[in-house]
Formats: sequence, structure tokens, C-alpha cells
Amino acid sequence: MILQAIAAGHVYGYTVMEVTGLASGTIYPALRRMERDRLIRSQWERQSSADSALRPPRKYYKLTRAGDATLEASRKRYPLLAKLAPAEEVPEI
Amino acid sequence: MTASWRENAILRAASFLTPAGQRAEWLEEWRAELWYVPRREAMRFCLGAFSDAWWLRRNGGPADKKPSNGLESPVRCLAILASLSALGILVAIGLAVPLKRAPLYSGMSGRDLADGCIAMLAFSSLLLPGTFAVWRSPANRQPTSWRSKLRLGLFLSLKVALVQPIMVCAMMFWFVIAPVVIFGPLAMSATMIAILRWVITDQQRRCPICLRLLTNPVRIGTPSQALLDWYGAESTCSRGHGLMHVSETTGSYSKKAQWLRLGESWSGLFSARQL
Repeated sequence: MILQAIAAGHVYGYTVMEVTGLASGTIYPALRRMERDRLIRSQWERQSSADSALRPPRKYYKLTRAGDATLEASRKRYPLLAKLAPAEEVPEI
Repeated sequence: MTASWRENAILRAASFLTPAGQRAEWLEEWRAELWYVPRREAMRFCLGAFSDAWWLRRNGGPADKKPSNGLESPVRCLAILASLSALGILVAIGLAVPLKRAPLYSGMSGRDLADGCIAMLAFSSLLLPGTFAVWRSPANRQPTSWRSKLRLGLFLSLKVALVQPIMVCAMMFWFVIAPVVIFGPLAMSATMIAILRWVITDQQRRCPICLRLLTNPVRIGTPSQALLDWYGAESTCSRGHGLMHVSETTGSYSKKAQWLRLGESWSGLFSARQL
């Protein structure tokens, strides 16, 4: 679910939370675990971009090649997964 | 959205669970995320930080940097327990003096302390039967010798016996502060269960052959990719006696740890104390 949400363009922890409906105490450890397993990678937003938008910089998540493969395998196994998170325009990091 | 002092305090409190080296970045990440959370959901969102911080505490640092607590050797473990036990007896005797002044306990004698120990032992006996089924049946056909089983049982019995004075000491402490603290009986039970739980957990983490604490935990499987598959951790006996598989899933098929005995052919790998 989380991989699907990130692939659909929900690239921040809180938006993943909103899309999946899971609690913060579930999402953030899961994101760390996936990052440790090299399914996703994180990157801090540039301070200048955040400053121009008058907000704190956030951490973006992106699927790795292994993450893509895992998501593809999961979609084959659970076809409805693709309908879970509607695709969103991925912001430029 | 600016977070209120309450949410900031929760995040700050949770941050103390994280490893010191990662604390600043962890806090920054949570504060950044909190900025986007609507005020009505902020409190619930922040409470999740404890779960995340705890995860980071358990998985954040490399395994070989974990500090040693001196309990690896069974002899040293028993020696430390014996010292704590002796200290517990002294403290219990010290606590008995102010306790006897209280009208409720004025008739208390030294015999009551011994009775307390027996009551503790009975209490322990109620909770300990589960430990006799600490491991699942071995994964291979090399049975553990009766000597090892006897040593294991003896070690467990000694530990149970040595924690009794510590438990009595804890009981006396809670009796002393009972007039002041309302949740005294509850805390007393929790302390005793925590001590017995440590006895059981420590037993589970030891090699059944040499009784040393298992080392070098290695993760097996990836939880992110497993729905019904097995994943968990594998620890090794530093003397090369075997491997312990501990599942992180709580299915009926993988509830308990499984011990895999290594044959003599593996001894060459461990002779140079590589682990």
C-alpha cells in the first residue's frame, strides 16, 4: 500500500498517511523499514525551495528499482492495489 | 501551521527514545511533517512519534555497537544476580524497620520475611511453566544432550531462586510507600512480572549448550516484501554451538524461537573467535 502510494506521487510521510488511512505510528516506521530494505530512498527538500514557499523543508520518498520490482510483483498478486491510490503529479525535488 | 507547545513537548519527549546521533534529524523530520497536519489531528499524529522513535531505537544503530551489559557469561550473570540478591536482602531488612512502625505491620517478624520469599517463589512458579517450553522442537535431528538440558534447567532454577530476594525487596519498597502512592499494589505486581519476564527472556536468549548469551543478530527476510512469509532474526552462539531463529511474526507456526544445532564440522569457523 505504501509503495503504491509513493509510486502514485504521494511522496511525503503525511500524504502517504492520508492516502493509506494508516496511523502515523505505522507509516513512519514502515517508511524507515522500507528505506533500510532499499525499496525506497529519501531526500530532504532544498532549504531554498522550502523558504520560498514559507514552510519547513520536508523529506521526499522515491521508489528504488527494487521498490518498483516489489510493487510490480505486489500488483500482480493483488490487482486491486493499483486502484488504491490515485496518481498525483510528482513535485520536482 | 505552527505547532503548539503540547505537540512540541510530545515530540521532544519521544525524541529521547531515539539514538542520540539521529535525534536532531528525527526531530526535524517530525516537526516538518507536523507543520502540514491540521490542528485537530495534531495530537494523534504526534503520539505516533513514540512508535517511530522506538523503532529507530531498536533498529537504528548497528548491532555490534550495542553495549555489553556483562551478563554474557552464565557464571558472571549468576554472580551479578547473587550480588543484587544480597543487596536486596540488606535493603529488605532495612525497609522492614520503618514498616514495623506502621500499625498494620507492627506484628511482623523475621519469619514473615522468609514467608514472603516462599510466597514470591509460589508466585514465580505460577508464571514459569511457560518457560519449560521455551524453544520449539529443534530444527535438525541432533538432540540436545541430557547434560545440557540439566544445566539449562539448573541455571534457570538458580536465576529464579536468586531473583526472589530482589522481588521481596521490591515488595517491601512498595509496602513502605503504599500509604503515599495509590497505585502501589499495581506497581508491585508489575515489578514482579517484569523481573520474572527478564528471567524468561534472558533464558530464551542463551545458547542451550554453553548458556552464553547469543550474539551477532542478523535479519532474515524483509518484512516489507513478506505478507505471509517468514521473517525475523538469527543469532549465533559465539562458541559455534548453533543458531537461534526468532520470528517477528506471531503466527501459530512461528511463535517461539527455534534452535538449530550446528554439527562438529562448523567448529573450524568459530575456533578463531571470529564472531
